[in-house]
Amino acid sequence: MTGPETVRRKDVRATRTGRTALRVLTVAGVPALLVISWQLYSTVSENFYVPAPGRVARAFAETWFSERLLDDVLPSLARLLAGYALAAAAGVGLGVAIGLSPRLRAAAEPVLEFFRAIPPPVLVPLIMLLAGIGDGTKVLVIASGCVWPILLNTVEGVRALDEVLSDTCRMYGVRDLSRLRHLVLPGAGPQIMAGLRQALSIGIILMVISEMFASSSGLGFTIVLFQRGFQIPEMWSGILLLGLLGYVLALLLRRLERRVLSWHHGRGVGRA
Amino acid sequence: MLEVSGLRKVYEGRRVEALREVTFQVDAGELVCVIGPSGCGKTTLLRCVAGLMPPTAGSVKVAGAAVTGPPPRMAVVFQEYGRSLFPWMTVRQNVELPLKEKKVPAVRRNELVAGSLAAVGLADVADAHPWQLSGGMQQRVAIARAVAYEPQVLLMDEPFAAVDAQTRADLEDLILVLWRDMGVTTLFVTHDIDEAVYLGQRVIVLSGSPTVVMEDLKIDLPPERDQLTTRSLSRFADLRGHLYAQIQRARGDR
Ligand SMILES: Nc1ncnc2c1ncn2[C@@H]1O[C@H](COP(=O)(O)OP(=O)(O)OP(=O)(O)O)[C@@H](O)[C@H]1O
Ligand SMILES: [Mg+2]
Repeated sequence: MTGPETVRRKDVRATRTGRTALRVLTVAGVPALLVISWQLYSTVSENFYVPAPGRVARAFAETWFSERLLDDVLPSLARLLAGYALAAAAGVGLGVAIGLSPRLRAAAEPVLEFFRAIPPPVLVPLIMLLAGIGDGTKVLVIASGCVWPILLNTVEGVRALDEVLSDTCRMYGVRDLSRLRHLVLPGAGPQIMAGLRQALSIGIILMVISEMFASSSGLGFTIVLFQRGFQIPEMWSGILLLGLLGYVLALLLRRLERRVLSWHHGRGVGRA
Repeated sequence: MLEVSGLRKVYEGRRVEALREVTFQVDAGELVCVIGPSGCGKTTLLRCVAGLMPPTAGSVKVAGAAVTGPPPRMAVVFQEYGRSLFPWMTVRQNVELPLKEKKVPAVRRNELVAGSLAAVGLADVADAHPWQLSGGMQQRVAIARAVAYEPQVLLMDEPFAAVDAQTRADLEDLILVLWRDMGVTTLFVTHDIDEAVYLGQRVIVLSGSPTVVMEDLKIDLPPERDQLTTRSLSRFADLRGHLYAQIQRARGDR
């Protein structure tokens, strides 16, 4: 009598294994294909500037699992996070103030649009003149680029707060800080998060660019150094590291968002 | 308890005269319904009474004090109930927030929250989020929040306009029970004549634009109301017919 049972259980296991295999294939398929074509290309062309993946991997291990991690990667990362945090604080703070006050908004909006239209990298030389070439400058460059999407998204989010919810707060005496905490920040949360996401990629770009100008350490600096010294596999490994870094940071941000905005995502699923 | 005198409201910009001259009173502990054709200014009236909007002329007094902003012991159940609940809070947190702002001690707060959720039959979904509930349940959360607040005056703006007939009947009875238990002065706006007669001790009929009070009708039905027996009384039918004719007139005047 156990015959059909066993068969069914086996079936279940088989489909589960099959599904896992499919998942792995979907996730790893395209990257694997890319690496294979890269390998093929480098074998066929023997282009000096396109080393084989194996060589780049070796260079990666040798270059970055060394004191470079402490001397270049960590300081870069620290500056990025400092600039990003500064931008987040300023962007959300100012954004809330501007979003809540129609007067302030009317006065500030054209100026904001103008500043946003300036490509952030052109601020690098200017800030360098004003603030020297230390860590402070780089943090400032990163912050000055990251702040706009956060600020503008926050303003939008605060402006779009539900009127009925706002009236509810007024009726039940939810004012000032309480209102900020229970109505304004969570209500604008999805938009603020969208701003933070946009700002992250801008931050990484500016981290690299700020280190390509007058600098003696950092990821951007090191990559340029490798390029000038014709250490091509090392240069490639730096680019790879940057990609990985961006990927991991975006992943962390998404984790945070899922926790903070669980109500938002839950509601979205509920509606769909 | 509630005095509305010579209330006029003109919306600037489009210069819409939503209310021409509205005057009436509600005694302490009374339940008064307001009816009128759609767009005659019922929501406008309620928002002025709630102090959410300054009137163009006239005044509102609650317990003798002129209303210039939302009065401390007044609660409102809005027409758009779905939008009046905080989606990032659980049902319990939604009900509790106003009490926290009122600095009600934690023990008493828990009592009030549990009591009001039990009263509206939602004790078991206290930890759900509003968007996980049906429309009728969401409206009951809004009612529980108002009840827990222990208001002196309760305002409701077509609270049952968007729920099905059965839910609506249940919610009407819920309101009657809560009103009787709390003795809270209640102003209930609706466009449903039956509902107004069934719930109210008095019904105030607003005219179409330019809006004035067309009639202030005492509902002389027995105080104990019941969906079946009350609605089948001949007096119920008379009152209903009379108000129906009034509303038709209000519409025709426009
Ligand atoms: N914020 C506003 N600005 C300008 N006009 C408004 C505003 N709110 C309402 N009105 C106008 O005032 C009049 C009365 O509106 P109100 O919402 O008070 O009517 P109502 O009786 O509640 O209608 P309903 O039964 O549909 O809820 C309408 O003509 C409406 O267009
Ligand atoms: Mg209305």
